[in-house]
Amino acid sequence: MLGDAARRLQGILTELRRLPAVLGATIARRDGILIAHALPKTMDPKKIAAMAAAIVGTSEMAVVEMGLGSFNSSIVDTQIGKMIATGAGEEAILVTMVRNEANMGLLLLSVDKAVQSITEILKGAEVPA
Amino acid sequence: MMQSPPKTIAPRAKTGIPVLDDRLQGGFPRPSTLLLFSEKPTEKRLFGENFVIQGAKAGEICLYVDFFRAPQLARGELKRFGSVDPAKLVLVDATSSQLLLPSHEKYHIDDIDNLANIREAIVAAMAAEHPGRIVVDSMEFLMDRFPKEDVLRLWRELIEAARSAGTVICFLFINWTLMERELDEIRAMSDFVVEFQSSLRGGIIRNSMRISQMESNGIRTNWIPYTFKDLVGLTVYFPRILVTGPFNAGKSTVVKALAEKSISIDRMGTTVAFDYGNVNITGIEAEIFGTPGQERFEFIFKIFAREVSGVLLVVDASHPDELARARQMLDLVGPRIPYVILANKSDLPGAIPPEEIAHRMKLPDDVPVVPTVATENKGVRDALLMLAEMIIGVR
Amino acid sequence: MTDVWARLEETIDELSRVTDIKSAAVVRRDGLVVTHTLPDGVDPKMVAAMTAAIVGTSEMATIQLAQGRFVRAIIESDEGKLLSLGAGEEALLVALVYDDANLGLVLLAMERAAKQVETILRDGAG
Repeated sequence: MLGDAARRLQGILTELRRLPAVLGATIARRDGILIAHALPKTMDPKKIAAMAAAIVGTSEMAVVEMGLGSFNSSIVDTQIGKMIATGAGEEAILVTMVRNEANMGLLLLSVDKAVQSITEILKGAEVPA
Repeated sequence: MMQSPPKTIAPRAKTGIPVLDDRLQGGFPRPSTLLLFSEKPTEKRLFGENFVIQGAKAGEICLYVDFFRAPQLARGELKRFGSVDPAKLVLVDATSSQLLLPSHEKYHIDDIDNLANIREAIVAAMAAEHPGRIVVDSMEFLMDRFPKEDVLRLWRELIEAARSAGTVICFLFINWTLMERELDEIRAMSDFVVEFQSSLRGGIIRNSMRISQMESNGIRTNWIPYTFKDLVGLTVYFPRILVTGPFNAGKSTVVKALAEKSISIDRMGTTVAFDYGNVNITGIEAEIFGTPGQERFEFIFKIFAREVSGVLLVVDASHPDELARARQMLDLVGPRIPYVILANKSDLPGAIPPEEIAHRMKLPDDVPVVPTVATENKGVRDALLMLAEMIIGVR
Repeated sequence: MTDVWARLEETIDELSRVTDIKSAAVVRRDGLVVTHTLPDGVDPKMVAAMTAAIVGTSEMATIQLAQGRFVRAIIESDEGKLLSLGAGEEALLVALVYDDANLGLVLLAMERAAKQVETILRDGAG
């Protein structure tokens, strides 16, 4: 992973985290390896990365099995907030944790933008085989 | 007077489930007396019905004495085990007289309140038909109506008649009234006792049976979970066989090799959630779950490593440095669960032999290590059958 | 025991009749099917395993993220949503809904059904 790409990815997460509704964000590889994170120190980003990969992978399979078209996102509702996991390109996942009172419409727009940027950065960071 | 079943009959009476019949050295010997003992009527009857249908399918004449169902109803219900030559299935009608109706069966009990009449009808049917198998459904019907000493006497007489005829006789029984001492007496009269139990967990009913041979040092199986499959009959059923082992050992490939249809949730060459497949081999059905191998996915065990019947532990025989990790993963499943080691990729150069793997893993003597090449479906089925035998209580 | 299953079946049938709910299932938390109204062509055993993986992992993620109690998981796709939540200690409830569903009503119906399932299983075990 090129240092520049890593910095830019971190930048996207930092920007997301600036939104008042956002409690934290993580970028993981689809095989569960952590790429970058902006999580409070009390949370283990590696565990989140693996769990998000399991959730997204399984959700994508479930969507196929039940004939529901293509997967958009998985949302875990909890007492305190929501964990939104969505694909960010072929090889990565973006996980965003938001407060329950968040304005979901605006938030999802920011998430979509972040996903687009992440996808581009990762494409650009690809080393030819 | 010694009569025997026709010479074309097989020396042993199969249950139709290969792994069980293997355990019984081919099936129940002739003659023998079976006691099918359960707390609920449905379980023992299923075994009894399966037993006669298997006999009929094998070309044996089978006698079914049914105190509860009219012959037409019984025949109808027996159809769900598959079709057989109707001439092989002889019913002794014990209900028409109860309903004060004429019987259309060749053999019928005319006076249901007369034990002697009951005995005569059954013995006459035996003498005329020379059955290979007999099922009496069910003895508690008689225990409810007659003094228990008289019923026990009839019981012994029927056993004696069956023994002389060289046939296998099955008595179904639910105990309402007898004391332990009397139950022991009945067990002692039998060569084999098949017990049944049923449990309900989280909305799913789990049925299992256990076969014990009454002679000392006789066969004793563990509790064997079973299910019923339409047109097939009784099937051993393992609700969860876990396929686990280190990353890249070939677990997903094993699941694919075993199951006709399977799913694998994997990304970038590694399983990120699980593999799943349903396996059907003769007489056995199993749900196979593969776990990821990477440490970061160990949380999956908390979800899927429950009610595990047995484990197929897959190791890459060409990477012996990972054997310790394999052992560690076994600990994630829990103690006292039967397991078989698959020495996978055994065709690769550098693959160490099974004995070496057993030695390095410090395995107990009775743990099989099977060389496999999962990509070519070599050895995988054998490993599963070995595991099935361990779970049943063969090895 | 068959009474438990019949009551669960009734609950799921009723839930499946709610507007916007296509089909539903009760599955055990360890991934085995209990009862369902899934259409032919969908393998209920696979749905059960996947639901268990999604909910089980989501619950653990919720703990990791110190987010209090897990409430539900929603999988969003082009043509519909898959909703799953706990139904007591032993079971989960999963429902397939149309894309333009009124989620509020659907979730209410699911929560009610989940409580019913929990009660049925608790009564049956006693």
